[in-house]
Amino acid sequence: MKKAKKKKNKVARFVKKTLGIAGLAYAGLFCVFYYDLDGKLLYYVVEPFMKNHFDNMERRDPHTVPYEQIDNEYM
Amino acid sequence: MKKPDLKKLKEVDFKKAARDFVYGKPHGERRLGDLYIPKTGLYKHREWRGIKDTMYYFNHIWLYNYGMIVRDLMVYGGGPKGMIQFLKGTWRYRWMGQTYLTVMHWFDRCLEGMRGETLAASAWHFRGIVSACLYQITGFFNRDLNIGGDPELRAKTIGTDETVWGGVIYPYMDQGGYYLPTQMIPYFVTCHCNNHTVLNYIDAVQAYGLPGDPCPMCQAEAGIYIEDDVPDSYVAMVTTNEACDSSVGTSVIQDWMMNKPLFAMPQVMQFDDDSVLENCAKEIEMAWRFMEEHTGLEFHWEELKKHIELQNKQNQFEREKWDVAANTHSYPINGVAQALYRIFYSQYGERPFWHDVDKKVRKIMEKCVNEDINTFPMTRHRVIAWSCAPLYYSAWCTWAYNCWGLNTIINMDSLMFDLDIRTDTYENCLLDIAKYHEWAPMRRMAVGGLQHIFELWENMEKFNCDMVMMYDQLQCKGMQGVVGLFEDEFRARNIHAIWMPHALPDKRTVPRSQIRQIINDYMFTVMGEEPLDPSLLDFDDSDSW
Repeated sequence: MKKAKKKKNKVARFVKKTLGIAGLAYAGLFCVFYYDLDGKLLYYVVEPFMKNHFDNMERRDPHTVPYEQIDNEYM
Repeated sequence: MKKPDLKKLKEVDFKKAARDFVYGKPHGERRLGDLYIPKTGLYKHREWRGIKDTMYYFNHIWLYNYGMIVRDLMVYGGGPKGMIQFLKGTWRYRWMGQTYLTVMHWFDRCLEGMRGETLAASAWHFRGIVSACLYQITGFFNRDLNIGGDPELRAKTIGTDETVWGGVIYPYMDQGGYYLPTQMIPYFVTCHCNNHTVLNYIDAVQAYGLPGDPCPMCQAEAGIYIEDDVPDSYVAMVTTNEACDSSVGTSVIQDWMMNKPLFAMPQVMQFDDDSVLENCAKEIEMAWRFMEEHTGLEFHWEELKKHIELQNKQNQFEREKWDVAANTHSYPINGVAQALYRIFYSQYGERPFWHDVDKKVRKIMEKCVNEDINTFPMTRHRVIAWSCAPLYYSAWCTWAYNCWGLNTIINMDSLMFDLDIRTDTYENCLLDIAKYHEWAPMRRMAVGGLQHIFELWENMEKFNCDMVMMYDQLQCKGMQGVVGLFEDEFRARNIHAIWMPHALPDKRTVPRSQIRQIINDYMFTVMGEEPLDPSLLDFDDSDSW
């Protein structure tokens, strides 16, 4: 009987904790949404970082591609 | 500590403040322009739309769409491997890594000020567009040999110009045939979502020595190849001369840079002549033979028929939507959602995600009609938008409604693909497919002959519009040729028309603030009206996405 009660308490505590964490996460996400923190992160941090990466990327020289034509008939 | 100003506190109408908190501020009091951080287009905070609509936006749009993006990447990408390919692609291609991560701000810009059913139905359209984008993005990356994609998938994939209608792949879809419009995702959608990226491609073309005066769309599409930013995801390419000869120039650059088998599928410009239809049909058949030769796929008539019939259903629903838009005040889709969704699905072709969206939108629209909901209650003028729109400012319709009560009911590009393709015989089907091709974006009305560009007058009447937003693509030689004719007609017919100059994807030629100024000037001086939201008249969003 005591063991069952203890188990029940444990489950209740676990549920309470999970709900608490979920509630906090939900509230946190709402703050991110409402204050446009996702936009600010992307605008001030992610995009400049990615831009810098792409600006310095090594790219194929387009002149190295041969200019040829393959003729075929598809009638 | 500073003492609270009791005098000010006494002036606060708490009852009204509570009502605004619960229901959101009424239209005239919102001051949406005050929410922006100057230059960036970011929000100090997102709009408070009242409890119900704010929570709808947070749960069913913002959270839901972030979640569904991950879901789509997993499903379309084929599980964790697809996710890895997505990350590799994001790191490899500028049009992905610098552009699409900002997608939720695209929703924000286009849905500003929307409420209730209008907010929901318009957001569902964007959900459909995003799903279609992810379908293509994963399609690119899963096949891309540059980042370790699957050569077997690539072997059944045909790259195309974005103006080659996606229906060309219908006969092969049951065998894994895959259609990849090579510019739709790397170029077209980027301009709407985050127009910073496209400028690199325009500059790349001009830095390469090509002239800067052709259509900037074609410049950007060629620039993607010059910048080596095209995935190696397809085995051969089908191009077309649509919409214009500048597009042919793009194909020449593409052909050179990608060095793959290419089939050019020309379609006539003056399509009213029936004698040319058979020629176009033959071109399409030749394209099919080309695709079969390079992919090893076989032509399946029943498969083609199946997808055409599903596509016809989509088109029939579109006509129902137009009927509601034209004849009631209960059409729940805003101008930008209507325009982008329609052009995207009619060009990309029939796929399951469109039907999911249509089902949801039908339900919302039926509710609006049955309950006689006035979806845009502050409408002062019903606007038809004509010619080709500025891609970097497709959200102007949302701004114009919020600021001036200009409600964009319909636009030219939405009307062009209004054709149910016959499936009774192969011959009839082919002829209709040819016609569908001839009616490509920027083609059927814009450069398809004077009588077609003048279809404006009958559509204005059909949709009960009292004002025209006349797009003026400054680098489109075709449309520049008819400016004077339109001016004469507007005058003769006594129609209120606002000319909106722009350079399609390039915001540097005519900035968004200038577009707003032109509309403001017309509304103040010609119409003699006052804005609904004065905070939106003038704000700096020069560096925004």
